[in-house]
Amino acid sequence: MDEYQAEEETAFVVEEVSKIIKESVEAAIGGNAYQHSRVNQWSTSVVEQCLSQLSKLGKPFKYIVTCIITQKNGAGLQTASTCFWDNSSDGSCAVRWENKSMYCIVNVFGLAL
Amino acid sequence: MTGMEEYPNGNEGSFNSEEADGLVKECIEAVVGGDDYSLNHVNKWTASIVERCLTQLVKQGKPYKYIVTCAVMQKTGAGLHTANSCYWDTAVDGSCTVRWENRTMYCVVSVFAVAIP
Repeated sequence: MDEYQAEEETAFVVEEVSKIIKESVEAAIGGNAYQHSRVNQWSTSVVEQCLSQLSKLGKPFKYIVTCIITQKNGAGLQTASTCFWDNSSDGSCAVRWENKSMYCIVNVFGLAL
Repeated sequence: MTGMEEYPNGNEGSFNSEEADGLVKECIEAVVGGDDYSLNHVNKWTASIVERCLTQLVKQGKPYKYIVTCAVMQKTGAGLHTANSCYWDTAVDGSCTVRWENRTMYCVVSVFAVAIP
């Protein structure tokens, strides 16, 4: 039982990270419609909020958070990522969020120290 | 120290983002160089671009873990904004982002390199 708990504290927990991302996105752009003049500030806000919540977890990880916000006007958008790391200790989590006027895609990559 | 540049990647121990920049541009050109945006192919293209970039980076044999992300978007006038934030060791870790476009699509590729301690 002790061993399992120790692993939890130093493992990349996808659900936990996913929850942090969803909360950060809602807080930053929750009720808003796409606005060109504000989107810069929004994407910065999303990544910074995610990162500060993640570092508060106090786990021995380096983090990379990326955010893409795109206006809904029928354009096709495809994203892909690939990683060269240690599969046993590192992990990632992607969250796709949308409202009536925009899509927001956030990726978090956690690399164990 | 004379001749020392101000930008962060001036020393050997850190990530060389100029080299990575050139490498990524070549990979994008090789995969989607002459093509128009195509819904049927875009899945394959993004996968090819990231795999190709990663293979080239790993070949350099440097002590890094890599993350490569790629976004391809059709040009229809929609706004697209991307942002990255990283919590790491700024002395040795680094990133590079390349924005590429042709007549029908945009392609944004980011490479993140995290030093292996």
